Amino acid sequence: MKTVLEADSVSKDFREGRGDVVSVLRGVSLSLSRGEIVSLEGPSGSGKTTLLSILGCILTASSGRVVVDGEEISADRPARLPAIRKKSIGFVFQQFNLFPSLTALENVEYALNIKGEKGAAALREAERVIDAVGLSDRRDFLPRDLSGGQKQRIAIARALAGKSPILLADEPTANLDSQIGGQVLEMFRALAKKEDRALLIVTHDPKVRTVADRVLRIQDGRLAAEGLAA
Amino acid sequence: MAVDLATKSLLHDKLRFLITVSGVAFAVTLVFVQVGLFLGLLDNASVTIEHIDADLWVTSRNTPNVDFAHTFPDTAVKRVRSVPGVERADNLIVWFVTVNLPSGAQEGSLVYALEDFSRWNIPWNVAQGDLADLKRGQYFFLDDSAVKRYGSFQVGEYREILGQRMKIIGRTKDARSFTTTPISFIDFERAQTLNPQSLQGKTTYVLVKLAPGADAAEIAAVKAEIARRLPYNDVYTKKEWATRSRNYWVQSTGIGLNMYITVFLGCLVGIVVVAQTLYTSTMEHLKEFGTVKAIGGGNLDIYRILGKQASIAAVGGFVMGALMAYAMRPAITKIDLKLIIPPVFVAIVFVGAVVMCLAAAMISFRKVASIDPALVFRG
Repeated sequence: MKTVLEADSVSKDFREGRGDVVSVLRGVSLSLSRGEIVSLEGPSGSGKTTLLSILGCILTASSGRVVVDGEEISADRPARLPAIRKKSIGFVFQQFNLFPSLTALENVEYALNIKGEKGAAALREAERVIDAVGLSDRRDFLPRDLSGGQKQRIAIARALAGKSPILLADEPTANLDSQIGGQVLEMFRALAKKEDRALLIVTHDPKVRTVADRVLRIQDGRLAAEGLAA
Repeated sequence: MAVDLATKSLLHDKLRFLITVSGVAFAVTLVFVQVGLFLGLLDNASVTIEHIDADLWVTSRNTPNVDFAHTFPDTAVKRVRSVPGVERADNLIVWFVTVNLPSGAQEGSLVYALEDFSRWNIPWNVAQGDLADLKRGQYFFLDDSAVKRYGSFQVGEYREILGQRMKIIGRTKDARSFTTTPISFIDFERAQTLNPQSLQGKTTYVLVKLAPGADAAEIAAVKAEIARRLPYNDVYTKKEWATRSRNYWVQSTGIGLNMYITVFLGCLVGIVVVAQTLYTSTMEHLKEFGTVKAIGGGNLDIYRILGKQASIAAVGGFVMGALMAYAMRPAITKIDLKLIIPPVFVAIVFVGAVVMCLAAAMISFRKVASIDPALVFRG
């Protein structure tokens, strides 16, 4: 399996108001391959979201090496980060973060537009992924008219659109009830496998283990354990 | 075609959109009405100059505007007529007189006196009467705009001008002065006898018509020659004299400053309303803009959204504001004012509205530039 995401000895320090330096990540190393599903677990404040932000090219590491889809991320070239996000990464957020004024289909199509795909090609791709998440009959609904589960499925469709090799999900089931959360995870896993995407899910939810190939545990900014999912 | 997030997002909250557009519309209406009224008033300041068919005006030295005339010997016209290139030249008296009204009140009138009105296209809009009859006796034409200050009047009625009983034998339209003093038209010699102490043997202007087809160089040459022969007078082209007359009111009174201040305040109100609503909208959509950044968009993508929203607000506000200004026109005409909105001014206001809204959006640009896409991970 081809490795598409690599972190080697990644650390991240933040400077606080009084000049104190807080180390949020301390020498984290991990890798993710196409078609692989990894769950990243850890308590609040353990550094999960910071790691996700670095792997998602939203933040840069204070030290260490990050390679995304073959391109090494450099803190010296922050202007390059949006282009890498555009090309290689699809995000799914805890709060769905759909645009309220756009229909389900337009939400996906707009993400494709941002990635540079426009016109009929973008529409076709948007229709394909909306169909893949089983919401063709809801494509013209505004987010306010969709249930939580449906919103998250549209968010997944948006992440899948454009063939980004890496999918990063931040607590994708946190705002869903247990049954719907389970269904969304199953669907997410199936689509990631089918489309050969690498999927990293940051979560508190133990159900995620059931769909993951590997489980990583982070504590106090360090990867504490790694193992195969139960 | 790309998904138009800017328009959809702007129209999603219709009330906010209406408030934004109304702010721009208010500013646009204010500018149109204020400047339109100003131009209407200025038009009155030079409307007679524009209509009189003269290429050059000879005035007494330093006459500030057409209404505030000073006298000089009426024989000057002979020297003007002798200048090569002059086709014809006539004396024109413009003089302020008092008129006794039947009510016992006294009002002012601005008399225009010529030997032959028909040769100079003044008055240019005769509603009733024959100008040739002015020479037949103690007669005068009165413009309809006098109704507001004199009360209604009919042809055949008499009014006392400078103590002399004179008959109204005609009515004109559209002859206005900047000060709204009603204009009356009297035969030149009769005007001199109305106030012999000031006007006997005097005129206030000499109107000059050059041979047909005279070009700018010829006009300048004749002008220079008249100025040489009449060293104690000033000579202006029609355009120069109209500009001088208008500029007097703009520069020597508070009206110009008043207009500039109102236009400035109108623009300020527009900018503040648009900036405030766009900024509030930006703050409320921070997470959406963070999402745009997270999915790979840059500041430029968000600037485009805000820029487009500001432009839509500008166009919507401009259309609404212009329609409101045009809708006010009949009411303004009813109170004897003119709202002049030339096409070039419409274009200027349109560009101004767009620039104003884009400037207002710049405030939001600064906020957007500082958006951390990591905020999308916050619950």
